[in-house]
Amino acid sequence: MLQSYISEIGRSAKSYCEHTARTQPTLSDIVVTLVEMGFNVDTLPAYAKRSQRMVITAPPVTNQPVTPKALTAGQNRPHPPHIPSHFPEFPDPHTYIKTPTYREPVSDYQVLREKAASQRRDVERALTRFMAKTGETQSLFKDDVSTFPLIAARPFTIPYLTALLPSELEMQQMEETDSSEQDEQTDTENLALHISMEDSGAEKENTSVLQQNPSLSGSRNGEENIIDNPYLRPVKKPKIRRKNRHGILLCCPGWS
Amino acid sequence: MPLTGVEPARMNRKKGDKGFESPRPYKLTHQVVCINNINFQRKSVVGFVELTIFPTVANLNRIKLNSKQCRIYRVRINDLEAAFIYNDPTLEVCHSESKQRNLNYFSNAYAAAVSAVDPDAGNGELCIKVPSELWKHVDELKVLKIHINFSLDQPKGGLHFVVPSVEGSMAERGAHVFSCGYQNSTRFWFPCVDSYSELCTWKLEFTVDAAMVAVSNGDLVETVYTHDMRKKTFHYMLTIPTAASNISLAIGPFEILVDPYMHEVTHFCLPQLLPLLKHTTSYLHEVFEFYEEILTCRYPYSCFKTVFIDEAYVEVAAYASMSIFSTNLLHSAMIIDETPLTRRCLAQSLAQQFFGCFISRMSWSDEWVLKGISGYIYGLWMKKTFGVNEYRHWIKEELDKIVAYELKTGGVLLHPIFGGGKEKDNPASHLHFSIKHPHTLSWEYYSMFQCKAHLVMRLIENRISMEFMLQVFNKLLSLASTASSQKFQSHMWSQMLVSTSGFLKSISNVSGKDIQPLIKQWVDQSGVVKFYGSFAFNRKRNVLELEIKQDYTSPGTQKYVGPLKVTVQELDGSFNHTLQIEENSLKHDIPCHSKSRRNKKKKIPLMNGEEVDMDLSAMDADSPLLWIRIDPDMSVLRKVEFEQADFMWQYQLRYERDVVAQQESILALEKFPTPASRLALTDILEQEQCFYRVRMSACFCLAKIANSMVSTWTGPPAMKSLFTRMFCCKSCPNIVKTNNFMSFQSYFLQKTMPVAMALLRDVHNLCPKEVLTFILDLIKYNDNRKNKFSDNYYRAEMIDALANSVTPAVSVNNEVRTLDNLNPDVRLILEEITRFLNMEKLLPSYRHTITVRLECSGAILAHHNLHLLGSSDSPASAS
Repeated sequence: MLQSYISEIGRSAKSYCEHTARTQPTLSDIVVTLVEMGFNVDTLPAYAKRSQRMVITAPPVTNQPVTPKALTAGQNRPHPPHIPSHFPEFPDPHTYIKTPTYREPVSDYQVLREKAASQRRDVERALTRFMAKTGETQSLFKDDVSTFPLIAARPFTIPYLTALLPSELEMQQMEETDSSEQDEQTDTENLALHISMEDSGAEKENTSVLQQNPSLSGSRNGEENIIDNPYLRPVKKPKIRRKNRHGILLCCPGWS
Repeated sequence: MPLTGVEPARMNRKKGDKGFESPRPYKLTHQVVCINNINFQRKSVVGFVELTIFPTVANLNRIKLNSKQCRIYRVRINDLEAAFIYNDPTLEVCHSESKQRNLNYFSNAYAAAVSAVDPDAGNGELCIKVPSELWKHVDELKVLKIHINFSLDQPKGGLHFVVPSVEGSMAERGAHVFSCGYQNSTRFWFPCVDSYSELCTWKLEFTVDAAMVAVSNGDLVETVYTHDMRKKTFHYMLTIPTAASNISLAIGPFEILVDPYMHEVTHFCLPQLLPLLKHTTSYLHEVFEFYEEILTCRYPYSCFKTVFIDEAYVEVAAYASMSIFSTNLLHSAMIIDETPLTRRCLAQSLAQQFFGCFISRMSWSDEWVLKGISGYIYGLWMKKTFGVNEYRHWIKEELDKIVAYELKTGGVLLHPIFGGGKEKDNPASHLHFSIKHPHTLSWEYYSMFQCKAHLVMRLIENRISMEFMLQVFNKLLSLASTASSQKFQSHMWSQMLVSTSGFLKSISNVSGKDIQPLIKQWVDQSGVVKFYGSFAFNRKRNVLELEIKQDYTSPGTQKYVGPLKVTVQELDGSFNHTLQIEENSLKHDIPCHSKSRRNKKKKIPLMNGEEVDMDLSAMDADSPLLWIRIDPDMSVLRKVEFEQADFMWQYQLRYERDVVAQQESILALEKFPTPASRLALTDILEQEQCFYRVRMSACFCLAKIANSMVSTWTGPPAMKSLFTRMFCCKSCPNIVKTNNFMSFQSYFLQKTMPVAMALLRDVHNLCPKEVLTFILDLIKYNDNRKNKFSDNYYRAEMIDALANSVTPAVSVNNEVRTLDNLNPDVRLILEEITRFLNMEKLLPSYRHTITVRLECSGAILAHHNLHLLGSSDSPASAS
């Protein structure tokens, strides 16, 4: 009852105030409302001044417990635009940001080259010394064996293989560079030392000769695409009639 | 004695033979060579040959054939046993009873021995008696078939066996055998008529291990297994008439590569080298195209084979339809220096296929025509491939070579004519050997002979134009190819032989010009021309007084009479004058075109039409002459010593565009160590457009000049700042850039400069410390990781530089150098060398360049009485 009464007062007071184009109800709005609802306004001061009025004291104001902020380091990151704002905030930066620490890199070219050179030299020296220590050696001076140790020379059984074939290291390099067609192009151009061969001209000649060539290979072959080379043909089986075992006579009959 | 058999042959000469007289009383038409057993272990060969001959005289009773070191078991003629005598006089040249022991006696005896078996005179080591049963048959001039069984044991020449001593079967070991030899030496491995003028068709059969391949001349008809399937027989047919001397053989476990551009070309190499073979031969088709185009003639044989073998005596040997190369010519794409050399070898062998193999010679005195033509067309190929500069440089190099040889040893005679056979008529009496036979020549003489032959061909070209020259070649080739397709009975085969007179005749037919004086001068006579030139400028008459003297009395020289071109560069331009060199006139007056005028600033026109600004302050105020050149086109085989002022040489170096002129002036400037010469050389070094070889020789000249000027030299050592600018890092000038050899010109310069710098000496005749440190730094900072090419040749040059930097120590009292009294610089150098040597053992470089170079620049070690043990046995037989 009381509640609806009070809310009715509030509602009509708001209506009155809005009626007069205001947003905040004034005292007069409430008075009019009370009058309208049949309440005798004049009795109000007397009621307020009654002797045995109960006074409700205001609740004691307690200090809100402050949460400790000791661990915040730096500013929390705001949400990036793709995360809706209702999502929880990022944790403190220290929980996820990493800061690598390093020394100032050596970028001086001279030092780098120096280092590379001496490193390689050291490796080489260590290796050759090791080889010299473990294997046979020869020396430059008759009396001193240790100062300039030379790995003993051993003749190769098939000398041309080691001499001609590129080492594995070089092979690797070659594969790396060969993969780029461009390089290959300049390579062949350069090989003519300093005259640039006219590529287009050379190609033209190429094709013309290729067209001529089948006259030779084609006459045996008929088809251009299949390489007909006598060395690629299968070896024939001997004819059975050549059974007599005289080496000389074996070949003769065919030819005389 | 041997002449008796020849005379009737000459009488009975066939009309179809057109001038060619066979020295033999019979004609060879066909020969079968069958080798049915090859033993690598014992290095022996067993086989037989069968020659089909037609007697040309009725009373033929003896047949002489060539054969050396073969053991002949049995000879049958038309299936009848025939008696034979085998005698090789060259085995014992001076009989043991001889008392004379001098070179002259030996030389004469050897020449006599060689001519006693000379096939070109119808002689031979093997004399076969025709059985009496066949005499009637012979009188009817009917065909004879001579069947000879022979074997060959441990041949000393002709066939070379390579048998590496490793485990495994012969094929796994890479054992191979190939024919080799100088000139006509096929008789070393089978009996034949070993003459370039006796052509016949061939059937060749070789039975080899199933894992091996036999490569020989002509078309491979078929390959058949023997009945036990462990061997196969290769059957070759050569239908183009070919001389026995052009027959060859290579047997081994070869890898086979069919040329991707021309399928009738097949390449062979030893196992594992296939990738190198692919790269090396990838260029061959362009050479083919070039020759076929200029000769307007197809390659005469139906196929072509290249074989790369180990232990070759010569790098290139050309035979009918196949060429045998040294395996050392193979290279990968990473190798720069070897590439042009290998390509030259390929081109050379191919040129010889046309002239030398297909077209053969009538006699030894016609050899120069073949060598000349093949050398000449090879030169044309060089001009097209490597450019005019390289070509001219090569011509100049060859010219210098022949001039130096002839002046030192005596004349080289291209076309010797032997009349009467008397000693006094001997055209080569100044030589210690007879030039009557190819086999009595010295090796060096023969290479000079080849060199002169192609230079003379070039002179002929100068005279009749290249177009006519090529027409002549084409004529020779087309005649020969018509003849080659004919049957023997048509007697056309002799048209495949070239003779001097035939060649000259077709030149005069084609060009209509008379080149007889030229031929007389250079072909029929030996010797070169030696000019001395000097000049004076006559201001009053405005005339250049040129004096040209000749030295024709010293050995190896001859007198020149005829036109001589002189080019004079004046202020107003370049003018050619043709002087007539006559008996007694030494002085020649050449009118000058320009008045001396120094103040008018104007560009100076050069020979090639270019106009350049020159700083004329150096020149003589009175004379308008900038420089003078005698015989600029090298149209005489000559040596010119010309005197002109140093500034003229400098102008010539800076502004003459001909590489030969530049090189001549570099040579001359060595005698003028002045700051102006230094500047001119430095400018050339820096000039990128300049030919790289000129820049390279400028390096060495600069080093010499710097040494002569050592007391007045200012600034850093010669070339150091230049090298720093060109090849070192900008930020740290003492460190060389990481290697990048993409530009070959600068690569060659980078290689050469340190070598030249190391020749610098200070006042104490020692290499300046600064230079040595510089070179050691170059070695230290050498970084090839990013480079597409191998740096082995570069490193080898660095070793040369190190060697150059050492001044030979004056050995005091023959003291033995020990470690303790070693100069610290030498110690550093030795350390580098040890490192290089050791690294090479672990990571061998291409062809062991580094070890080999160390060996060559053994100077260092020799100077310091050091001995490098063992380095002599490793340096790779492959080098």
